[in-house]
Amino acid sequence: MAPMDGLGGGTAIRRWPQEGIGRIPNWVYTDPAIFAQELERIFDGPSWLYTCLEAEIPNPGDFKRSRLGTREVVAVRGEDGAVHVLVNRCAHRSMQVCSANRGHVKEFMCPYHQWTYSLDGKLMGVPFRRGLKGQGGMPADFRLEDRGLESLAVTTRNGVVFASFDAPNETIETYLGPKMLGYFDRVFSGRPLEVLGYWRQRIPSNWKLMMENIKDPYHAGLLHVFLITFGLFRLDQKSSTEIDDETGRHGVLVSRRDDTQATNEVAQLPQFRDKLTLADPRLIDPVREFPGEPTVVMQTIWPNLIVQQQSNAMAMRQIVPFDAGNFDLVWTVFGYADDAPEMRERRLRQANLFGPAGLVSIDDSEAMLLSQSGIAAGEDRDCIVEMDGREARDSHHMITECGIRGFYQHYRTVMGL
Amino acid sequence: MIGSTGVAASSELRQRLADLYAGYDSALDEGEYERWPDFFVEAGIYKITPRENYDAGLPVAMVYCESRAMLADRVVAIRETTLYAPRIIRRVMGAPSLLAIEGPELRLAQSFALFETMLNETSTVFLCGRCYDRVADDAGTLRFAERICVTDATNIPLSLIFPI
Repeated sequence: MAPMDGLGGGTAIRRWPQEGIGRIPNWVYTDPAIFAQELERIFDGPSWLYTCLEAEIPNPGDFKRSRLGTREVVAVRGEDGAVHVLVNRCAHRSMQVCSANRGHVKEFMCPYHQWTYSLDGKLMGVPFRRGLKGQGGMPADFRLEDRGLESLAVTTRNGVVFASFDAPNETIETYLGPKMLGYFDRVFSGRPLEVLGYWRQRIPSNWKLMMENIKDPYHAGLLHVFLITFGLFRLDQKSSTEIDDETGRHGVLVSRRDDTQATNEVAQLPQFRDKLTLADPRLIDPVREFPGEPTVVMQTIWPNLIVQQQSNAMAMRQIVPFDAGNFDLVWTVFGYADDAPEMRERRLRQANLFGPAGLVSIDDSEAMLLSQSGIAAGEDRDCIVEMDGREARDSHHMITECGIRGFYQHYRTVMGL
Repeated sequence: MIGSTGVAASSELRQRLADLYAGYDSALDEGEYERWPDFFVEAGIYKITPRENYDAGLPVAMVYCESRAMLADRVVAIRETTLYAPRIIRRVMGAPSLLAIEGPELRLAQSFALFETMLNETSTVFLCGRCYDRVADDAGTLRFAERICVTDATNIPLSLIFPI
C-alpha cells in the first residue's frame, strides 16, 4: 500500500502552498519523512537513473561501481556484451561483493563465505552447499536460481547507461520525450566517448537544490562573475530555457555565446568586471564543435543526472543523495575517443571552470551551502519562483524560473503533494 | 636545509631547495597568493588531482594550470570573481624529500595536511595527500617546473578554493 500522500514530519500534515508551483515550501529540503518518501517514490520508483557510461565498461567483465539513490550498485558488462546493473549486496549475509570502483572480473565472489555470482548476477556456487562428510549444508529446498544478486532493469542510449529498481513502462526515448532526446543526442550521437577522469564533492545541502541550480539561468548571469566577465554566459545573449512537454521533469538551458558587447543593463551590474582579462587565454579558448547556434547546453534529466556541455567542457554530474541535508555530486569528465590532441588538451584546461575547484562551480557549491543554512532558518516559509510567470513552460530568454517550476510540477505529482 | 635522503646533493643545493619551499609555504600560509605564481617557471605546470585519477593515468585534474600566467588568472578569480563562504584553510606541510636528480631537474615530494575552519564551526580535516615536484634552476633561481598535488580523497568537502 502506498504511504499516505502529503504526510510528513510525524505529526504535521504537509500541504503545498496554495499559490502552486510558483512557491516551494522549505520543508521539502529538510523533512526526513519527505526524504524517505523521495527515496521510495523517485529513486526506487519508476525512474530511469543515470548509472555510468558504456565507455567505462567496454569489455565483458569490466565493472564500475555507482550509487543510485542510497543504494550501491555495480554496472558490469556480461559475457554476451549486455550491461547488467546489480545491487552490491550478497544474497547470503548482505555483504558488499565488490569493493573496487572500477576493474575487471571473471565473476563476483563474496569475500565472507565465497558465494560466487556470474556477471549477470546469477548465483553459481555456495561452498559446502551439501555439507561436509554428510554434515551441515543448506536445506534441500535451497535453490541457487532463487538467490542471485538483485538485478535492475537496464537501458542504454548512445553509450549512456540508465537503470531502474522499478522498470518504467516507457523506453528511455519516451521517458526523455522528443525535445529532450534531441538535446541528449546532440552530445551523445553515438560517437565513441573517452572518460578523462572523475571528481566528487560532498555538498551539505538538499539534492534538489542542485537540480534547481541547473534549471535556473537567472542566477547564472548574476552569480557567476567569471562567466559574465569573460562573455561565456550573459543574460543578454540569445538563449532559452526548455522543459519536456509531457511532465516538465527534464529541462535544458541553452545559450549562444556571441562577440557582441554587453548591453548597458548587463554592463552596469555591480558584479560586471569589464577591466579583467585573462593572462593566459588558453584557459577558455572555446571552439565550436556542435552543429547549430548553441554553445552551452545544460540538460537536467529526472531525477539524478545533469549533462554538462559548456563550450568544450563536458561532464556527467550524478546526484547521489544521503539524507535531506547532504548529497554527493559525482562528476565524470569526458571527451570523444577520436578527439585531436589539441581538443583533448582544451577540454582539460576548460575543466578548470568546473568541479570542486571550478572557477564557476565553486559559486554554485557555496550558494547551495548558504541556501540550506537559510532554509533551516525558516522551514515553515516558502521560496518564491515566480520570475517570468507562475506556470511551467518554455521560455526564450534567461530572466525566468520556468525550469524550476517544471521540476516541481512533476515532483508534486510523484510525491502526491 | 633539506635532509639527505641518500641522493648526492651539496649542502648548498639542499639549502637552496629549503629556501624555495620555505618561501613558497610562507606565501601561501600568509594568504599572499599574488606571490605564488613567481615560484614557478614561466611554463610551469601546477595540478591538484585526486589519487584515483593520478593512479589510473586519467588526465583530468581539479586544478589544471600550464603556465605561470594561468596561475595568476586563478589568483585573480579567487580574489575578484569567486563567491565563497568565509573560511581558513591551514596548511601543514611535511619535510620535502629529495627523490632524485635527473639532469638539470630535481625531483622532490612533500606530504600535506589541510585543515578547514568555517566561520563559527570547529576545525576539521579538509584534505591530505602528497605533492610530486620537479624543480629547475631558472637563471640562477630555483623554481617549480611542475607541482602535482595528489589528494588521497576523491571526495572533496564542498569546495577547493585555495592553492596547496
